[in-house]
Amino acid sequence: MNKIVAMAAKDIHILFRDKLGFFFTIFFPLMMAIFFGAVFAGLSRGPANIPIAVVDEDRTAGSERFVGRLEAAEGLALEQIPREQALDQVRRGQTAVMVTLSPGFGAALDNPFVNTPQVEMTVDPTQFAAAGMLRGIMLEAAGMELQEMMNDPSRMAAANEANRQAIVAFTPASPARDDFLNFLDLSGRVSELIDQLGLNNVTTDAAPGGFGSPLEIEQAQVQAQRRGPTNSYATSFAQAMLWTLIGGSVSFSMSIAIERSRGTLMRLLVAPITARQLLAAKGLACLGATLFTSTSLITLGITVFGVRPTSYPLLALALLCGSICFCGIMMALSVIGRTEQTAAGAGWGISLPLSMLGGGMVPLFLMPEWMQTLGNVSPMKWTLMAYEGAIWRGFTLSEMLLPCAVLVTIGVVAFTLGARNLRWDTG
Amino acid sequence: MLLFDHVSKCFGDLRAVDDLSFELEAGEVFGLLGPNGAGKTTAVNMAVGLLEPDEGVVRFADKAFDRNPRDAENRRSLGLAPQSIALYEQISGADNLRFFGRLHGLRGSDLEERVAACLDFADLTDVGKKVVSKYSGGMQRRLNLAAAIIHDPELVLLDEPTVGVDPQSRNAIFDRVEQLRDGGKQVVYTTHYMEEAQRLCDRVAILDRGRLMALDTVPALIEAHGGPGNLVVRTGEGESRHETTEPLKTLGELQARQAVDHFQYLPPDLETVFLNLTGRALRD
Ligand SMILES: Nc1ncnc2c1ncn2[C@@H]1O[C@H](COP(=O)(O)OP(=O)(O)OP(=O)(O)O)[C@@H](O)[C@H]1O
Ligand SMILES: [Mg+2]
Repeated sequence: MNKIVAMAAKDIHILFRDKLGFFFTIFFPLMMAIFFGAVFAGLSRGPANIPIAVVDEDRTAGSERFVGRLEAAEGLALEQIPREQALDQVRRGQTAVMVTLSPGFGAALDNPFVNTPQVEMTVDPTQFAAAGMLRGIMLEAAGMELQEMMNDPSRMAAANEANRQAIVAFTPASPARDDFLNFLDLSGRVSELIDQLGLNNVTTDAAPGGFGSPLEIEQAQVQAQRRGPTNSYATSFAQAMLWTLIGGSVSFSMSIAIERSRGTLMRLLVAPITARQLLAAKGLACLGATLFTSTSLITLGITVFGVRPTSYPLLALALLCGSICFCGIMMALSVIGRTEQTAAGAGWGISLPLSMLGGGMVPLFLMPEWMQTLGNVSPMKWTLMAYEGAIWRGFTLSEMLLPCAVLVTIGVVAFTLGARNLRWDTG
Repeated sequence: MLLFDHVSKCFGDLRAVDDLSFELEAGEVFGLLGPNGAGKTTAVNMAVGLLEPDEGVVRFADKAFDRNPRDAENRRSLGLAPQSIALYEQISGADNLRFFGRLHGLRGSDLEERVAACLDFADLTDVGKKVVSKYSGGMQRRLNLAAAIIHDPELVLLDEPTVGVDPQSRNAIFDRVEQLRDGGKQVVYTTHYMEEAQRLCDRVAILDRGRLMALDTVPALIEAHGGPGNLVVRTGEGESRHETTEPLKTLGELQARQAVDHFQYLPPDLETVFLNLTGRALRD
């Protein structure tokens, strides 16, 4: 037992001597705790609203009522904009879902016995969870419409009268037609009959069944609008490419610490090369390695998993800028960790929260709004944006310039800071 | 070629090297002898520009060293074998040499020639393609030394090159060092083994706690600081020790008194020099 205590005491002693080791052993878990705490606190207050674009091409009282219900629902940030603009916003990731109400929607809503009202959702493939949530809200809204209508004798009567006239006008007289017209009469009196029979206390107030779903939802991914069948690998490969950059930058940042601990840094420093050359070599090695891994990944995605980048030149640009960014980060990280352990700790300790902030773990829409704003400092967010822009969001060159400029700037600044502060002592 | 002029280096309160002065002479093996913590590695690191002296000047080829930025020109003519093995374990011995050779600007057939020569020098030709992590401690030591001379430097600094090496490998390393000297190199050799300094070094600087206690050839050091030797004799009464500078005369005197069965003369050596200079044994 004494031996165990002694060994534990020694380890703690060593840890406290290495201030960074201490930092990443204590503060990093703390940061994680704070982060997740904030996420869940945000959730209990309700996460930031999901941005939804509504394209109301129907423009009837019914469609406006339906939009009104969505507006009243919690958790959605609704915006009514023209179709082209909405589609563009989904493609760029600014809007999670575009909801289209086509002409005839209001009529179907007012007369659900003949047509089921239809909506069309166009979804950002990274936002499936948001789409699911919206689907539920829309079904609920349509259900409420239906229920209100059933409980409103005048609206039921109006719908029945319209149907009666249509049926009388377009079908020849027959016993079946008479039966159906009788049925319409009776169904218009459903709530009246329920009252008379005192069934209010017996039935639940659920929407009446028997008509199937009150709403038909057609869902499409945004890229399906532009080309071929959807491919979920398009998004997962972008994520994976990001993670190879993170992994590469962390391991390269460790390599300087390893050179130091193995003594080879001493040989490098005694060799006739300048510090600048040494840094450049490290940067280049990191750039080459991350470019290689990210390119290999997307090549695999393209050849095996049917990912179809929307632009190969822009993909090349995104790959280059992502790697430049993370090589800069690598250099900054290698200043922080002096031993292999602290280098690894610092690397992951900084990368993980940043990638969480950048949407690398929890979908951005689940985070509170302030955290999403904070996510703009995350290079992971910009890397994903560049990768996705070239792989499936169909960015134009000018749309690509922003994330690429941000990435290169982060890379250059981080590399310069790191290179300036790198300590060349060998001990 | 290498000159220390009143050089001091402190780590906090500790004077790791304290007012050290010496100048290397052409074609010699120069020993830095001292116990652990004497300041040998600190001195070597200043000699190669890894550390900057706090006081005094280190000159090499008549140019002052700056630590960083470093004068690439000077670096070409010196080679360092660090005290702790400094190699890339994941790659082969030959690839290590190739890499360090490239760092020094070697390329093409020149490089391959040097790699082959250095593998041969370290007696590692057979295992040149094996990864270093598979080498024995002695093999790694020899490669550590070979990596210091891949670019054929004029001055070679060997910081305790025999640590953790069996006697046979140690002898091999001694031979290599002599080979370097015979090839016209200047060698700085640090050690805490008195026998190594005695066997290899033309001149020895004795360091203790950062201070230079004495500097001369081994015979001169012993002459000046060795004191008397010891004559150990065994008689019927047992073994006895007699300090003496004239062992034959003392032996004669002892034999006149009683029959000596066995005797042994222990001349003064660097160990006794160190003891006399510092009041402490070199190894404790
Ligand atoms: N970077 C450093 N920071 C603080 N103290 C140091 C540093 N390097 C060396 N020292 C101290 O300076 C003194 C001299 O160390 P140095 O390594 O030069 O001794 P040495 O003669 O090479 O010893 P050894 O035979 O153990 O290698 C020692 O007390 C050591 O603890
Ligand atoms: Mg040493």
